[in-house]
Amino acid sequence: MLDLFLAMMKEEWRIHSTIFGSLSFALFPVMICGIAFMASFLIPIIQASLPPGYLTLITHGSYLMLGVMVGGFGLLGSEVMNRRFGQVSLLAYSARSLPIRETTIFLTFVVKDTVYYFLLWVLPFGFGYILASPFTGVPLLSALLLLTTLSLSFLFGLSGIFLLSSVYARSTTVFWLLLIILFTGIGGTVLVTAINPALFFPPLLIYNSPSVASFLLAVLILVLLFSIATLLFDPISPGSAKRYPNAFTPLSGRLSFLPDSPLVAKDLLDLFRSGSLIGQTIFSFILPLVVIWFFLSLLEGFLPPQGLIFLVAITTGIIASTMYTWVTMFDTFGPYACLPIDVSTIIAGKLTTCGILQMIPAIFIATVAILSGDVIYLIPSVVLSLSVSFYATAVMVWLSGLSPNVLVYDVKVLAAYLFLVGIAIALLTAAGYSNPDYAYLAVLLAIPSWCFIRRGRAWWNASEPEGF
Amino acid sequence: MPPVIRATDLVKDYGDLRAVDSVSLDVEEGALFGLLGPNGSGKTTMIKMLTGQVKPTAGSAAVLGIDAVADPVLVRRMIGIIPEQETPPSFLSAMEYLAFVGAVRNIPDCEGKADWWFDFLDFADKKDVLCKDLSRGTRQKLMFAQAFIHEPALALIDEPLINFDPVMQDLVKEYMAEYVQKGRTIFLSTHILEVAEEICSDIAILHKGKLLHFGPVAELIEQGEDLPSFFLSLVRKGDHA
Repeated sequence: MLDLFLAMMKEEWRIHSTIFGSLSFALFPVMICGIAFMASFLIPIIQASLPPGYLTLITHGSYLMLGVMVGGFGLLGSEVMNRRFGQVSLLAYSARSLPIRETTIFLTFVVKDTVYYFLLWVLPFGFGYILASPFTGVPLLSALLLLTTLSLSFLFGLSGIFLLSSVYARSTTVFWLLLIILFTGIGGTVLVTAINPALFFPPLLIYNSPSVASFLLAVLILVLLFSIATLLFDPISPGSAKRYPNAFTPLSGRLSFLPDSPLVAKDLLDLFRSGSLIGQTIFSFILPLVVIWFFLSLLEGFLPPQGLIFLVAITTGIIASTMYTWVTMFDTFGPYACLPIDVSTIIAGKLTTCGILQMIPAIFIATVAILSGDVIYLIPSVVLSLSVSFYATAVMVWLSGLSPNVLVYDVKVLAAYLFLVGIAIALLTAAGYSNPDYAYLAVLLAIPSWCFIRRGRAWWNASEPEGF
Repeated sequence: MPPVIRATDLVKDYGDLRAVDSVSLDVEEGALFGLLGPNGSGKTTMIKMLTGQVKPTAGSAAVLGIDAVADPVLVRRMIGIIPEQETPPSFLSAMEYLAFVGAVRNIPDCEGKADWWFDFLDFADKKDVLCKDLSRGTRQKLMFAQAFIHEPALALIDEPLINFDPVMQDLVKEYMAEYVQKGRTIFLSTHILEVAEEICSDIAILHKGKLLHFGPVAELIEQGEDLPSFFLSLVRKGDHA
């Protein structure tokens, strides 16, 4: 199993490093470390404006979400088999040629993904914080404790979403039942005790009151979550092929008012039939945003009246832009290479599909505005959210063409993305906070967005489309 | 009459590797042209350059009189292609994939034509199954159907028989022979020499990116050569050169 694990680690590294060079990829965790190092100097300023304990809560919440997003992205029941196992000949495929059980391979695959993304994202971030500790006055032991509890938060997110994904792949009814029980339980606890349930989050408990026993208990819970999820994991049997009457022709006909309607119809069928439309919407969109909304709502007292809803709208826009990665993950350029289509046309088709999917963030942000009593800011929030989403998608198209899922790990691409999107967010936040009506200025993002898309389509069309 | 395919001094480098080294060849209308060569000889790269999927490092390629480098989309509109090892999109059924191809290529009555192909290649029972759940052989049938469904003047097909059983191979060989008799052209890449000898009118042999031989199969037969022996001696000579 160790050999298989090491081989899978090498394989994952080579997949990434061969695409954009070993050095560029190796710099990715260094950049994450640098960002954390610099952000550490802002902690005293942020802490001064927050009630005691809130920053710790938000940081642990962010790591929980990071785990949820990494897990939700990679481990979506049927999608695992199709996207991660079925399309390319990875070691995860070797149950068919090697005398190793599929569950063993899958467990190793999960451990590999956990370790790999932990080393890539979590550890560099914590290390940056530790490096900054002598300058920020934070004791080294406290920084180490924080790294431990943040790592646990990440693993809780990963294992939790992995368990939910496995349950979802087995039975959607049990999945919804589980979610209802979970939310009713949390909601009931809040109503009865008036205590913030986030304070019972094991890593936060350990951080506030460290002990070996509570650490071991948290590890035990994690092992249980991972084990149950692995046991419940249900690989798709090759013999269980479903039959589908032709839905493409009527759908393409109904969408014929759109440019590239056959491409859009194909993308929508891909999303729907892979389970990704529902799975990604729940795990990579609604769940993270509900948690982010919850954590951001803790800041409400420190923001202007429109501050919270605008902040949620901008965050929704950023996360909505990742829908472009949903529609680019299914196919290689191969099936298109035998057709009279170029990369530019495929990008245009994917963007149109993303445009249709934008009804999800629009409905989400409208619901948040209504539920949080911010109906007065409903329209500017929707405008803000959709504009940010369009802009961030355009930046992604320019930087990564049809390969955003892969090129996100290129340090140059990620740095450019963070810089370009960061500037827009900072300007919009400042404008929206100074006057709610200024939120409408977000529509101006359409101009740079159009330029990015135009340049991106031309650039990626001229590049050799080996695959994406 | 100008050749259907004209490759002039085509070169393709992948980093330090020269995959295709200054290859020039003409393919005439109505030919069933076989591009032969061992694994890694540059056959697939040649097809990719001729269909505008990759850009040549040097040289030029004209297909049906169209510059394949300057206008690859127009070339792909006019021809049919079976790419090497490519599979149809996972989450469309076989029928939906052919409907998708029909919509992209603007093929009238595509579903009627698709039904003919399902019957002809004997996989009508699989037309509602998602492509990801099809066997390798059935996927190959589907890729064959998509390449010929619009009856192109020229089809460039990479190892089209490799996943077929003997009965299906025979059916497809017969189809290709009849296809070129109608004045259309097939450019076939293969390393199954017996197939090439049986159905091809002309052949080119590539080895390590270089063109070792180019000419009609009939000429070889007239010289008392059989294609497998001729091919092996040429390749071995190339190895020792």
